[in-house]
Amino acid sequence: MAAMGSGRGTMDSQNQVQSDTVDRLKLLYPNVNEDETPLPRSWSTKDKFSYIGLSQNNLRVHYKGHGKTHKDAASVRATHPIPAACGLYYFEVRIVSKGRDGYMGIGLSAHGVNMNRLPGWDKHSYGYHGDDGHSFCSSGTGQPYGPTFTTGDVIGCGVNLIDNTCFYTKNGHHLGIAFRGLPPNLYPTVGLQTPGEVVDANFGQSPFVFDIEDMLRELRARTRCAIDELPLPAEQGQWQAVLHRMVSSYLVHHGYCGTAQAFSRAAALPIAEDVTSIRNRQRISTLILSGRIGEAIELTRLLYPGLLERDEELLFLLHCRQFVEMVNGSDGETCGEKASSNGVATSVIAHTGRATNGQDLKHTNGVTEESPPPVEKNGVNGARPDADVDMEPAADADGDGCGGRASVERMLAFGRELYAMSQRLRPNPVHKAMLEDAFSLLAYSNPWASPVGAQLHPARREAVADRLNVAILENNGMESVSPVEACVSHSRMLLRRMARAGLGACAFADLPALLRR
Amino acid sequence: MSFEIATNNLHEKQDKKSYDRNKSDDLQISRTDMNMLIMNYLVTEGFKEAALKFQQEAGLQEPALCSSLDERIMIREAVQGGRIPEAISMVNALHPELLDNDRYLYFHLQQLQLLELIRAGRAEEALAFASATLAEAGAADRTALTELERSLALLAFPDPHASPFADLLLPSHSQKIASELNAAILKMENQEYTNPKLCSLLRMILWSQNELDKHNVKYPKMTDLANATIEQIHKLRR
Repeated sequence: MAAMGSGRGTMDSQNQVQSDTVDRLKLLYPNVNEDETPLPRSWSTKDKFSYIGLSQNNLRVHYKGHGKTHKDAASVRATHPIPAACGLYYFEVRIVSKGRDGYMGIGLSAHGVNMNRLPGWDKHSYGYHGDDGHSFCSSGTGQPYGPTFTTGDVIGCGVNLIDNTCFYTKNGHHLGIAFRGLPPNLYPTVGLQTPGEVVDANFGQSPFVFDIEDMLRELRARTRCAIDELPLPAEQGQWQAVLHRMVSSYLVHHGYCGTAQAFSRAAALPIAEDVTSIRNRQRISTLILSGRIGEAIELTRLLYPGLLERDEELLFLLHCRQFVEMVNGSDGETCGEKASSNGVATSVIAHTGRATNGQDLKHTNGVTEESPPPVEKNGVNGARPDADVDMEPAADADGDGCGGRASVERMLAFGRELYAMSQRLRPNPVHKAMLEDAFSLLAYSNPWASPVGAQLHPARREAVADRLNVAILENNGMESVSPVEACVSHSRMLLRRMARAGLGACAFADLPALLRR
Repeated sequence: MSFEIATNNLHEKQDKKSYDRNKSDDLQISRTDMNMLIMNYLVTEGFKEAALKFQQEAGLQEPALCSSLDERIMIREAVQGGRIPEAISMVNALHPELLDNDRYLYFHLQQLQLLELIRAGRAEEALAFASATLAEAGAADRTALTELERSLALLAFPDPHASPFADLLLPSHSQKIASELNAAILKMENQEYTNPKLCSLLRMILWSQNELDKHNVKYPKMTDLANATIEQIHKLRR
């Protein structure tokens, strides 16, 4: 069920991204999950000393104190600490005006460090100061580090979250490493000390003066090397066998029967499941992937009696998809029936799935009373060996030889049945939304071009086919997820775990790039 | 428009998005992407028949089969079938300089030939072959010497298959060498990915687990890649 709902969610958020303007920060730090660890995007209106004034969407900082002594120093932190999942973090500060003395510090500080100070003077505070060019590493005394900076200069501050070092740039030139052994969760920080000092921050919302992308590419390549050259554990000799088993189990899992057989021959690896059983699953999947849901339901009933009766959510899902395919004009069942549409009164669901009617649905365990007559059941056993029915490769919607859409009356009748069915199920917001989306299709004369048209796309059949396949596999006592897919999820989980543990290297283990075609 | 209002709107939007995104995290990646991962394996590893069948069954685009695919398949079959001299001459015909430049790979092929002799019980021929062709490589390379010693040690056992070095006689050993050779040919031909992506995926898991171990972070560890067995974190303290 979750899979269905999320399919919908993904599509929605994709549309969202396309319509929004490009978020440069997301591109810079693709591995950061901002729901967990938001990126610094502006200066904090709360986490600052009172002598600091903010303007221009909280990106410009100016000094509004007296600026008599160092006791008048004032700092501001960004809204959020730097997430480790950035891998390499970078921000730039342009000196709009050096004011009276140009006592400006740019750097990093931990949460809670005194803001009545310049960055670098205290524990867990680090700064590069404009008046003398010194770096201050948690100390009131600076070390000679770089050139001084003044009005018009752009100073960049970079944090390498893999080795926990910090470097600065001036007008696009790398100045070398300033600090090592940084603690986690530091905030971008600037400090000013004399009247007239004004600086602007760029947290990545505009292009940087320094070419940070180049460093990112370099780190990505280095991490990729580290991964590809990782010494394999002791069972190295079995590595090939592991890969082969993984490929084979995937092919079997999804019912790519012919491929599994060809691979099995070439790799000299036995197949873990009876070939007939794989082929049966393949036949059902192929029907769904070509939009012939009604036929798929019938075949499932024939081959796996009781399965759909036990899993009403699955049945609902299938019928919901069937409705969408009726709009699409690809559900074979409905096409065949269109000549004899003799009225709304006929129950369409009962028609398409022959054993389903209201009574059946109320039974949660007792299934067979209303099910196909015994003759059919014998037919089931007879049907299994006849698995040599040739399967055409998964075709697109229009390949079924009947492109006509079911009549509106039939669709409405089917829709009513569907609604009644959903009412009998446990309330589920995902179901509700799915049903609403499906019904919305009827409101458009050209549903394919409508805002809800995405659900008509053949790719949306995959999730349904997978859900049914998993149900059959579980019914047959097999794993519901193939090992290779489990590995993808596991790898994703590990990278999230690394991000949470502050291991910046996770930023450059590019799983999406690996999976990208 | 003041900033505060903008932020509020943003938050609302993000709340909605995060609800969706959390769900999509549980979502398996798209079937097509998974299929491409598998197809990539079949093509780079030279399983041509399976690749073509897969293209048909999964409704994928025509796989970009490399020009040398047929040769690579024949070479792989020869290596896995124990016909090493045949494999070597095919490699030399395809890329004459390959084995000259990669002596360690050449050593591995010859080692396989030696293992074939041992498997066939031709002990004297095996010894003669080892001293004539392999000793030189062994002298030059410490790792090669160890591997050579392990191979010859098989002769000391009445039933090599029951010896501690029996792993060398398993099909997995010749498969491993066949893949090394295949990767070397692909690299020679400047193929972008010499390693199948599936390999990188599994290595990424091992790498992540290594990194987490190094920093003493607790996580559910995958202990058996082939079956994707994940060990749960033990909550009980010992």
